[in-house]
Amino acid sequence: MSDVTAPLPMPVTDDLDTAGFFEAAARGELAIRMCDGCDAVLHVPVAYCHRCGSWEGRWQVVAGTGRLYSWTVVAHQVHPAFPAPYTVVLVELDDHPEARLVGQIPGRADLVAGQAMEAWFERVSDDVVLPQWRPAAPEES
Amino acid sequence: MSDAYSHRDKCAIVGIGATDFSRDSGRTELSLATQASLAALADAGLTTGDVDGIIRCDMDNVRGNDLAHSLGIRDLTYLGENGPGGAAPCAMVGQAVAAILSGQATTVLVFRSLNGRSGRRFGQSPVEGARVGGAGSYDELFAPYGLLTPGQIFALMAQRHMVDYGTTPEQLGGIALACRARANANPAAQMHGRQLTMDDYLAARMISEPLRLFDFCLETDGACAVVVTAAERARDLAQPPALIRAVAQGSIPEPQPGIQFPVLMRESITTLPARAVADTLYRRAGMGPSEVDVAELYDCFTITVLLQLEDWGFCKKGEGGPFVASGEIDLGGTIPINTGGGHLSEGYIHGMNHVVEGVRQIRGTSSNQVAGAETCLVTCTPLPPGSALLLRAA
Repeated sequence: MSDVTAPLPMPVTDDLDTAGFFEAAARGELAIRMCDGCDAVLHVPVAYCHRCGSWEGRWQVVAGTGRLYSWTVVAHQVHPAFPAPYTVVLVELDDHPEARLVGQIPGRADLVAGQAMEAWFERVSDDVVLPQWRPAAPEES
Repeated sequence: MSDAYSHRDKCAIVGIGATDFSRDSGRTELSLATQASLAALADAGLTTGDVDGIIRCDMDNVRGNDLAHSLGIRDLTYLGENGPGGAAPCAMVGQAVAAILSGQATTVLVFRSLNGRSGRRFGQSPVEGARVGGAGSYDELFAPYGLLTPGQIFALMAQRHMVDYGTTPEQLGGIALACRARANANPAAQMHGRQLTMDDYLAARMISEPLRLFDFCLETDGACAVVVTAAERARDLAQPPALIRAVAQGSIPEPQPGIQFPVLMRESITTLPARAVADTLYRRAGMGPSEVDVAELYDCFTITVLLQLEDWGFCKKGEGGPFVASGEIDLGGTIPINTGGGHLSEGYIHGMNHVVEGVRQIRGTSSNQVAGAETCLVTCTPLPPGSALLLRAA
């Protein structure tokens, strides 16, 4: 059942609405879609801002820090590329808490709601980099 | 938001039909749909010659014309469709009401048929092939991280509800046990002969923490169908009509696109579209939660029920757990739920078996009959938009 050599599902990275997320990640940057007209966060990314009516938007580079909003330890394997257990995390960005991003931590992560999380970048193929999340390293005192 | 034209009590469900519920039907989905439809028509005292409308769910493999052909319906004047998936059944009944009251049909068959265990399984990862996402699915932002199934999404919601309100596994287990107890009294339920204790529930394997095996509904092969017609005509038919007091569809503000994953971006992931559907339905019905005698709540997972107990106003936000633990959802409680056993223990016909069971409650023929039940709420309010019905005795 568990075939760890199965290829990871690679994301479509050239969708007109979401490509900028992956282009930024390939540069080692975390970016979310924002409206040029009113600075609203447009996440998941869409072209049109219904708040102000603008079609003009940008990929805003944001800090790779956030807080853990929720998580689940997946114990029942559903895909050959993802051997269980693993932990899926949902992280609110420090800069823009209305945007939540997903990450994966191998195994059973020991987590607490609201804990500090940090982004890192995982190259999963020659042309695809995924922004990932892990518990932030303790601050040096 | 005017309700200038009211559909209140103007139409009724007059026939109900269901196939057996199993893990391997050995029949096509068209055969199952045909069987359930024939049963619903016979129940109503009608024939295929009376049917002039058919409404399907967008995720059904059976099209309206497939069923019309199979049944030999000759004078079809209305074909409708609703979705996505589990959001459909009550909305499909609402579409039947709309077709009838606008003169586009008189007798409408509403059906859902699926080989949900032996055929396509919703709980499995749908992700295959080299690239995932695009085309407005947004799967590219989720699937590459191993977030692949509805159960994993609801696990994230359950975890957050536990963080915010202190909800416990035992409280979720109380929902699984209530549904199982109802199934134990319903000979048609897949879990009819299988008891479930809290120890069993807690000892069962984790699927996606904090959700365990019995927090998940039953992948099921089967079909259900109902017949809708004008209330005036319903009086002359074979069964006591279940009047459609009101029907509603709805979506929360910032509903998020797609079928499932983007709902994790909602301001609160512990509020379902049920909250918005409830406001509209209660307003249209001129009734509130205290007037509902029994509720068939969409239960793809236990947490889906817990969130809806709050969204539908049976208890306050955050108090779903203690409400369950106090026995309020059991027979004899303030709001008995899922009296056929629900998706968790009867079968998962994607919301449609809840409509059938709701009609049984109004007729007084449920195997878990709520004494004196005159008003039944049926909900189809999982992740994306949702729908619901209030049924009333004539």
